[in-house]
Amino acid sequence: MRRTSVGARVLAAAFVGLVSVAAACGSGQTSGTSNKTLVIDKSFDLKTADPQREFEFTGGPVDHALYDTLLTFKGGDVTKPLPLVASGYTASADARTYTFTLRRDVKFSDGTPLTSADVAFSFNRLINLHGNPSFLLDGVTVTAPDASTVVLTSKDPNPAIPFIVPNPALGIVNSTVVKAHGGSAQPGADKSDTAETFLNATSAGSGPYVLQSFSTTSEVDLKANPKYWGSNKPAFQTVVIRNLEAPTQLIDVQKGANEVALDLSPDQASGLTSGSLQVKQTASPNVFFLFANLSPQVSPVTPNPHFQNAVRYGIDYQAILQLAGTGAVQAPGVIPNSFLGALPASAAVKRDVTKAKSELQASGVSSPSVDLEYPSDITLNGLAFDTLAQKIKANLAEVGITVNLRGAPVATSLANYRAGKEQLGLWYWGPDYPDPNDYLVFLPGGLVGKRAGWNTGAAPSLEQMGAAAGSTADNPKRQQLYQDIQNSMNQSGPFFPLLQPGQIVAGSKSLTNLAYNASWLIDVAAIGTS
Amino acid sequence: MALVLLGVGITLIAFTLTELVPGDPAEANLGQRAGADPAAVRAFREHYGLDRPLPVQYGLYLVHLTQGDLGQSQQSHRSVRADLGEYIPATAELAITSMLVAGISGIALGVLAAIRRNRLTDQLLRVVSLGGISMPTFWLALVGLYLFFFKLSLVPGGGRLDPGVPAPPHLTGLYTIDAMLAGQTDVALNAMQHLVLPALVLAAYNIGLLTRFTRSAVLEVIDNDYVRAARAKGLRESRVITRHVLRAALPPVVTVAGLAFANVMTGTVLVENIFAWPGIGQYAYRSATTLDLPAIMGVTLFVAVVYILVNLVVDVLHAAIDPRVRLA
Repeated sequence: MRRTSVGARVLAAAFVGLVSVAAACGSGQTSGTSNKTLVIDKSFDLKTADPQREFEFTGGPVDHALYDTLLTFKGGDVTKPLPLVASGYTASADARTYTFTLRRDVKFSDGTPLTSADVAFSFNRLINLHGNPSFLLDGVTVTAPDASTVVLTSKDPNPAIPFIVPNPALGIVNSTVVKAHGGSAQPGADKSDTAETFLNATSAGSGPYVLQSFSTTSEVDLKANPKYWGSNKPAFQTVVIRNLEAPTQLIDVQKGANEVALDLSPDQASGLTSGSLQVKQTASPNVFFLFANLSPQVSPVTPNPHFQNAVRYGIDYQAILQLAGTGAVQAPGVIPNSFLGALPASAAVKRDVTKAKSELQASGVSSPSVDLEYPSDITLNGLAFDTLAQKIKANLAEVGITVNLRGAPVATSLANYRAGKEQLGLWYWGPDYPDPNDYLVFLPGGLVGKRAGWNTGAAPSLEQMGAAAGSTADNPKRQQLYQDIQNSMNQSGPFFPLLQPGQIVAGSKSLTNLAYNASWLIDVAAIGTS
Repeated sequence: MALVLLGVGITLIAFTLTELVPGDPAEANLGQRAGADPAAVRAFREHYGLDRPLPVQYGLYLVHLTQGDLGQSQQSHRSVRADLGEYIPATAELAITSMLVAGISGIALGVLAAIRRNRLTDQLLRVVSLGGISMPTFWLALVGLYLFFFKLSLVPGGGRLDPGVPAPPHLTGLYTIDAMLAGQTDVALNAMQHLVLPALVLAAYNIGLLTRFTRSAVLEVIDNDYVRAARAKGLRESRVITRHVLRAALPPVVTVAGLAFANVMTGTVLVENIFAWPGIGQYAYRSATTLDLPAIMGVTLFVAVVYILVNLVVDVLHAAIDPRVRLA
């Protein structure tokens, strides 16, 4: 009897141990959201809220909501820059000088008016911090001839400037406030500017929201700017941008009242359209590509043009699309299909195993064996590089090419990629700004071109076309030039554009204006309720 | 002196191994364009002291360390000390709650299993504890979130608080304690609700572990002569178990519980990831994948300190529980 009594007590103690915690559940809010709060779920890569230092995916929606820019885009359409702080602009015929006229009614969140001095300070700060986004204004000088005029003068013709200016990194800060907290726009700002700590705690912009709290690992809280100058006031008083991994996003978005998930894969989103959710699915502007190195020091095989053609026609592009799920499209060229200068889908390379085999035979290389390097720890839009690499290996084996997979964590694989030492490389290019000029890097001597051993002088006619496309302000002419360039690259050259994966934005059905934007992922201030 | 040598040894090993990784922090942290811009790379290297020879970098790190300066994180752009001050309490709150649950439940169930040796209760508990040990924590976390949050609405989703609920004023960094100290009972309750599921998920393994260890430890002493003597004297069974059996059986259990606590404090990355818990695990993961050396060093030191402290506490507890340790 006594033993039974002790057992019962011990059992009770164990029960108390478990239940005492569960008792805390109570009747508190469990849905995760309140009606006045918009919740955005995103897997964080956040480093800073300082607009002139920010250039991460997660920083886009944060700074776009806090800081206005001279021009902007509406919804997901990044082909037409629209007025915001600038009521308009003029461009010189040589695409070197852009004159922006500012609105006079724009006010910062502290009520002070925004002037051209603030724009010049912000842009010069961006340039002189020598940070991640500084390249956006490479070779550009900024002047403010009067309080409502800003002039950007580019050393080289730069028709992309109207597409660069909406970038959140060019968000306009209140220069007086930022200077008072250690900000500097002078040469040497990379050493002297100490305003980042302040800007990670308090925003100093004129956007529809102000910063309430900021954490690079948990969440960023935004509060509606009570002094917002714009006519379209934000619908939500509070926006919470939370750091959640995709599997948790999938569960949370189905539970939340006003919730948006930004990282779901097409597979995860496939069952969400029914019920209380909406799913916006487009082709991502991220382009996965493969390259074969042209340097004989790197490989005796990959510079061979016939070998490159064997790879080009040996890849099963349609099978690769199956891996990426719905919403994915074959990349017709290196420029994504939603940008000016993109090729039509019909111009994309098609698999031809017979041709690939004959090209391999023509190369004179028997049973080639090459290493394929890629970042093994990255999944982009639900597509893992590892999976893609395995498919490529299988495709090329059918042609007679042995591919040795050499995946490595991105922190280490980047070194060989950037040093141009990879025989075959599998990477992606995400747009820095939505203009085809961002893709000149793929040409000989360009940033990515050199990584494939494609150095200046390797293809003079292509380089001339690139120079012309990058400097003309005439959009129809640019479009034709970029299409010609890509058609040429699809015929020969070291790059093999593979696909644009599906981009998913899933959210509560009651939300309006949900749209993926290539510059800032999502415009939280535009989201309303029906 | 031993602690100083230990600190130098740990930092030297961590520093050397991190430097041996074939990667460049500037490349890992700067984007495609900035990584190719010599001015941006130079600015990055100067800012983080990477332009100096390795021995100088290490020497400076040690000098700064003696002043309590752990350097600046390349990921968060904040001091590592500030980062650790934010993330350690988040993990500590989770780990302490989890170990309280695991400790109470595991020891109680272990004793129960031992005194019901080879009976149905014992066999049931052995199967359940084996299940607790065998189930992968990340799987349990996802299933728990789906079942108890999504399906049954018994607990809230990820994070330490509901979206939009402001954190309590920072005193200890433990939201439940800080909220109660600030008189914010609603925030304290909310924080407790958010603790429940991740703490139980983390506890599952340790409940199983402690149940099995406690059972085994109790069985080793339960048939000893002094236990029979205690019963023969007419002591109540509950007193025999708590005063004579459990006290003798506890030392190895305390050792295991101490190590389990240290493991939870330093190894919660998967649970933190799934529950969006901004703790040291997520910080360590991000630091490692971006070669953020100052943060890696900070986390390494933290892990070392945790194990040293846990060992110390375990030794003190042994002395408190077992008089023979004191006499020795």
